[in-house]
Amino acid sequence: MSDTAITFDNVSRFYGEVLGVNRITLSLSPGITSLVGPNGSGKTTLMNLMTGLVRPTCGEIRVLGVKPTEPAKLFRLVGYATQFDSFPKGLTGFEFIYSFLRLFGSSSAESARLSAQAIAQVGMTEAANRKVAGYSKGMRQRIKLAQAIAHNPRVLVLDEPLNGLDPLVRIETIDLFRKYASEGRHVIVSSHILHEVEAISDQVILLNSGYVVAEGQIHGVRSEIQERPYEILVRCSRPSELASKAFELDHVVEAQLLADGGGVLVKTRDADRLLRALNHLALGGIQIEGVAPADDNVNSVYDYLIGGEGATK
Amino acid sequence: MKTFALGQILAVIRLELGKTFFARRGLWIYLLALAPVVLFLGHSIYAPREQQRLARLAAAHPVPAKALNSIQTGMSRQEVLKDLGRPYFQRTWRHRRGPRRFREHVFYAYTDGRSDFHFFFADGRLRFIRRDDPDTLAKLSVIFATVFQYYYLRLAVFFGCVGVFINLFRGEMLDKSLHFYLLTPVRREVLTVGKYLAGLLATMVIFTASTALQIAAMLWEFGHGAVGSYLAGGGWGQIGAYLGITALACVGYGSVFLAAGLLFRNPIIPAAAVLIWESANLFLPPTLKHLSLIFYLQSLCPVVAAPAGNLPRLLTLLISAAQPASHAAALACVLVFSLAVVAVSCLRARTLEISYGTD
Ligand SMILES: Nc1ncnc2c1ncn2[C@@H]1O[C@H](COP(=O)(O)OP(=O)(O)O)[C@@H](O)[C@H]1O
Ligand SMILES: [Mg+2]
Repeated sequence: MSDTAITFDNVSRFYGEVLGVNRITLSLSPGITSLVGPNGSGKTTLMNLMTGLVRPTCGEIRVLGVKPTEPAKLFRLVGYATQFDSFPKGLTGFEFIYSFLRLFGSSSAESARLSAQAIAQVGMTEAANRKVAGYSKGMRQRIKLAQAIAHNPRVLVLDEPLNGLDPLVRIETIDLFRKYASEGRHVIVSSHILHEVEAISDQVILLNSGYVVAEGQIHGVRSEIQERPYEILVRCSRPSELASKAFELDHVVEAQLLADGGGVLVKTRDADRLLRALNHLALGGIQIEGVAPADDNVNSVYDYLIGGEGATK
Repeated sequence: MKTFALGQILAVIRLELGKTFFARRGLWIYLLALAPVVLFLGHSIYAPREQQRLARLAAAHPVPAKALNSIQTGMSRQEVLKDLGRPYFQRTWRHRRGPRRFREHVFYAYTDGRSDFHFFFADGRLRFIRRDDPDTLAKLSVIFATVFQYYYLRLAVFFGCVGVFINLFRGEMLDKSLHFYLLTPVRREVLTVGKYLAGLLATMVIFTASTALQIAAMLWEFGHGAVGSYLAGGGWGQIGAYLGITALACVGYGSVFLAAGLLFRNPIIPAAAVLIWESANLFLPPTLKHLSLIFYLQSLCPVVAAPAGNLPRLLTLLISAAQPASHAAALACVLVFSLAVVAVSCLRARTLEISYGTD
């Protein structure tokens, strides 16, 4: 069981005072897993934790049963293309992949063969003997990908791998992910755009501010977001009357009087319609003093992740 | 398993050598190593010309060597002129000492064709004699020992090691390319040792080559006979010792700056601290002297240099003498120290994290 999964057990990582990720408990099974969240949500931190580039402040991580502090074992299993867009100086694409493959202990001929094979898989054969310094952003992304797959790892960790790729290459790259996943490997990709990866992912993990906010199969995650009611705080005169009127609306899930007696907390599945209804109630004599989302942060993240569709449907 | 680690170390060295030997940033290391070679070469070219010049002057202004050697301070200018005749060069200048009082300074230069004599008179009396004898191997080997201990080890090899070893890790953090190493199945200890050995290979080759060239340049002005008898009379041993000390300095300073690059965000500060400590060594009390690398390196040197020669009087009073360590002890101390520092570096590398840019 633990030999095919990547597990996080209550893992937190702080950078000094800054939260990287907090209390992450996850078990990833083979297939394509997407880590999705806005910038700064902790995607890179999770990937770095998995590969030992940073160490957890607390908690335990195992990658197919191996601790990230054992590079000699770990990197026989794992290939990681980081988000860093930097390379050793003065090397061609081929030399770059070849020279690090030599550290795996393969012979010179074997390393050359594996390098050429990986480069061919990302469609970079023609540019292989040019200096990496002269590559375009998309080519650099692809050569990084080639480097991550060159030693044939069972776990591929790719930080924003689709960034900077033109549409055609993007399709080819996604095909490569699918091929790897169909062979029973892990392909873990990150993205800050949900729709970019939702179609290809077997599993999606939504991150925000260092927390996992939703996880599961993509359809589950999407509907979980869409069905999650909005919480709206209404300040008004005659709150109990407004609460009972609000209950009559079919999209309202809950209406709760505030303890100070000056308003109602309304949970609705459709914020737009609630706002229109409130206008109507105001005409009926209830004075509306203020309307504000109760949980601005989470709502806006969800809107952002699913492209704003949830708020208008 | 062990042979596998060895293979990985070789692979790391292969990857590093291009950077340690041919880094564009590292050009000044070659200049540091080359400077003393140029110095000795220049001297070897200059010395025979100087001898020719003195021979020509002696022919034009002959002075018997015996008379020259008999001149002593305290003699009057007339006495000197009577004994030696006219100098080949002279100069007079006056120094005002009051409204109407002057002090007269006179400088005479004589030569017997081999040695150059400078006489300084004040108010008609000979106060000071400076004598430049032709080079001998014995004289030059003391000069070499002084340059070696006070310039070469303390500055050239020192800064060369700063440049090469600090950048082994630090340079790649600045380039943001260290993670490629950390994402291979190479244990961090193996990586650290491999990088250290790559640095050693580069600095040892550059600086022992420089030492060898300096010695060759120094010997150049002497004839076959003189060089042959120097080599036969322990010269090879001295050369071997100098090469070995150079290599040992790379081992010692290399380990220190490997660690500095791993342990400090800004390793220039610890490097400066080590430089000050190693330079202050001369003035430290004997017990503290034992806490510096230069003390052991100097203990191994085959020829004693004269540090007090050109220092102001006050400073020489501050220099404390310490009994040099025995060769075996000195060698053991440097090696054990370096090994310990490399081990600390390995421990640090194990917990090293990648966080470029946020420094
Ligand atoms: N090396 C670091 N030092 C300090 N803070 C960091 C460091 N790396 C990441 N962080 C912080 O941790 C949080 C998560 O960052 P990151 O994992 O890079 O997110 P993402 O990849 O999703 O953009 C952010 O607030 C970021 O500022
Ligand atoms: Mg990131």
